[in-house]
Amino acid sequence: MMDIFYDAATKIQSKPILDWKAAGKPVVGYTCSYVPSEVFHAVDILPVRIRGIETESMEIADAYFGPYICTFPKCILQLAGKGKFSFLDGTIITPGCDSMRRLDECWRKAGETYPGIVPSFFYYFDVPHKTMPHGMKWFTEEIQNLIAALESQFGKKVTEDQLNRSIHLYNKGRRLLQELESMRSKKEIVITGTDAFAVTMAGTVMPRDLFTTHLESLVESLQKKEVPGNDPRKRILIIGSISDDISLIQLVEQDNEAVVVAENLCFGVRYEGNEIAETGDPISALANGYLGESTCPRMYGKYKERLAALKDIIHRAKVDGVVMQNVRFCDLHGSENGLFERDLEKEGIPCLRVEREYGPLVEIGRLKMRLDAFLERLSN
Amino acid sequence: MRPEIKEYNYDWMLASITDAASKTADGTEKEYKRLLDYIPYFRRTLEPILSEGKPGITFLKLFNEYLQNIVHSHDQGKKLAMTTFCFSPAIFHAIDVVPTTLEVLSTMGSLMWKRGNFDYLDHSVELGLTETACSAQRGALGAYLGGLATEVDFVICDTPGVCDTNANSFAFAASYLDKPYYQLNYPQTLADSRTGKYHLDDYKEMIRFLEAQTGKKLDVNKLGEVLEEIKKQDKLIGDLEDMHQLKPTPLPPVYNLFIYAGRFMFSGLPLFTKLLTEMVETAREKAEKGLSGLRSGHEKIRAFMCYIDHYTLNMKFWDWLDSHGIAHLGGILSRTFADDSCYLEGLQGSSYGIDTSSMDSMIDSIAQMNARLPMVRSIRGQFDKPNMWLDESISLAKTFKVDCVIYNGTPGCRNTWGMVKPFAMELEKRGYPTLIMNADAFDDRVESWEATMERLDEFFKVRGLLS
Repeated sequence: MMDIFYDAATKIQSKPILDWKAAGKPVVGYTCSYVPSEVFHAVDILPVRIRGIETESMEIADAYFGPYICTFPKCILQLAGKGKFSFLDGTIITPGCDSMRRLDECWRKAGETYPGIVPSFFYYFDVPHKTMPHGMKWFTEEIQNLIAALESQFGKKVTEDQLNRSIHLYNKGRRLLQELESMRSKKEIVITGTDAFAVTMAGTVMPRDLFTTHLESLVESLQKKEVPGNDPRKRILIIGSISDDISLIQLVEQDNEAVVVAENLCFGVRYEGNEIAETGDPISALANGYLGESTCPRMYGKYKERLAALKDIIHRAKVDGVVMQNVRFCDLHGSENGLFERDLEKEGIPCLRVEREYGPLVEIGRLKMRLDAFLERLSN
Repeated sequence: MRPEIKEYNYDWMLASITDAASKTADGTEKEYKRLLDYIPYFRRTLEPILSEGKPGITFLKLFNEYLQNIVHSHDQGKKLAMTTFCFSPAIFHAIDVVPTTLEVLSTMGSLMWKRGNFDYLDHSVELGLTETACSAQRGALGAYLGGLATEVDFVICDTPGVCDTNANSFAFAASYLDKPYYQLNYPQTLADSRTGKYHLDDYKEMIRFLEAQTGKKLDVNKLGEVLEEIKKQDKLIGDLEDMHQLKPTPLPPVYNLFIYAGRFMFSGLPLFTKLLTEMVETAREKAEKGLSGLRSGHEKIRAFMCYIDHYTLNMKFWDWLDSHGIAHLGGILSRTFADDSCYLEGLQGSSYGIDTSSMDSMIDSIAQMNARLPMVRSIRGQFDKPNMWLDESISLAKTFKVDCVIYNGTPGCRNTWGMVKPFAMELEKRGYPTLIMNADAFDDRVESWEATMERLDEFFKVRGLLS
């Protein structure tokens, strides 16, 4: 049952994407959780969140990005230069953070040296950093402009009915993911963190109908699963910088001393956390859901809300310790982890704050040593 | 942090130094010379500034007044706002709030002490900020986070959408210190009406925040006075820019620092107008005689800093340019982008005008001006889009007839390091030799000045710019 999720979670050119392309249908990649997938689904375009896994070297990325940049967008550029995203008919860049938004120029300029790596539809989606009325108005207009651009590029008309149907389907997936999260919170551990993360990762690249069907089956089977309630493993929450690689979760769980019972990562359920309203204007509903409810540090100034959300997860999932990771040069998560560490440790919640590299430079040995020491602390 | 560093507040120590420094020119030549023996390190900052004559003296007094205002803000019953150099302090002056600009204070520490800001840079990290955060904020922030500076009342920044690491430092400070926080946010475009409306809506919200924090209504007369003063200042800066086009330029390299530091501290206040007036008079005298602003009097080459200058340690960077016959044609920080500036050709929509005919027009004017402050203007969007960094740099390079372009910043600048390589490639394609410096403008430990000097030397020699 998990094979289809793992295939999608661990391969850039996974089977569902290749099958979709074989059917002659377009695929559009996007780089940030603020892009509403429903607008693509509504007109039979597969939205795929662009990832950095499978990177083996950095020579292309290093030619365009400077040295003091997060390795995640660098990995994406490297893969683009190597033709790994040749299945994309379009790409959408957003200002999730400075490093990610500069993927726009670096990708386009690399296209002058590596012909064919820039899809004909290369679009910049400008997400504001605030939810005040003028911010929401701007974002709503951005969604409208994106729809108009898609219609023009792909010759399809996005109707209100189609959007409503897509929102309905995506919401069904969201509820199922929330159910999965709810099961992970219980004392009885019915699914490992690695498996759960593979599922949510798969949800960012699989056709939504297919994903929802398989997710429904998984949730049903997990509901029937019987496991002992006195699991001795330490219950871990992972938070911080972008992570689309299940190996980080595997590293925590590999010695069977800990299990990841929740994450707050932008590739995890944080992205799927908010249901979109199914009444009223669908574009406004998407704007409210994707921006209005955002709990991402790139929004700035919402630390107290995020701390409260984190505490809620910690109590709900009965967390023993929090692993706070940030990719080097990710100041947004790195600094916020400093605040979280101060405030959570004050309340007796053990925290491990660790900086790491993403991709081929990742230092497994060092990370494992830090994790082992942290688990030892929890055991004592 | 070393205990002895905690003995006195950071801002108080800076203020004490500038208080003494600003009086040095009031004594006799003999007294001044004797004093220099007692400040073996700081003299390398003091001497180059005072050697500029009246503008140098006024610049020191301006620096001092800025710091005294900060240190005594609460004694005078005024609120103290932590803010950024990308934000015009004019609105604070209009509503009687004292600004403390982190980058200005970090620069002062770099320029004044042999130890620079090192202890404060590290202290920020000890308290939770990432070591990769921009040193421009991180230096002075170490003092504020550690309770080693006058307590701020609230925090305002305008860099979300422009510079993450900058915005993040202010958001972090507000959370860490538990202070009210407002952020202006800029879209990735500049010149269209939709963007202009966003600037205005956001700025109006900020004024409401300021009024709530101070308990005062924005005074229409005071705002008018400040904006009228800015008009005069923009005109004077425009005069200086006009003279910058001359070959040789009559402006000394350090004038660039005077312009932007003055603007970041005293935009809209008469003391800055006085400084600019003296600068214009001094430069005009040289221009009329066809003299270079360089000490040697011989301009060999014209360099344009497409980003920021190098502040660590003391005034070595400006001194190096001057001693090599390199004219400094300004950078991203020194341009106002006021209407009628001499470098606006091809940059339609990039400039602002000031209209003081009504409260609405004044608020619109100040909002649009703020949206054209350094960084906020040119690196908010993709560097190669209309009116952005590349267009702006090419226009400035052409206007000021530069021979080469130099990028200097900090490793914390995720935004420019994310695209400076393709940006430099584009400048090279257009015939401008471009150097990307790897130094940290505020932290000599990243690359020593000696190493930086070698790289500068190598660039000018290898590219055939200086023999």
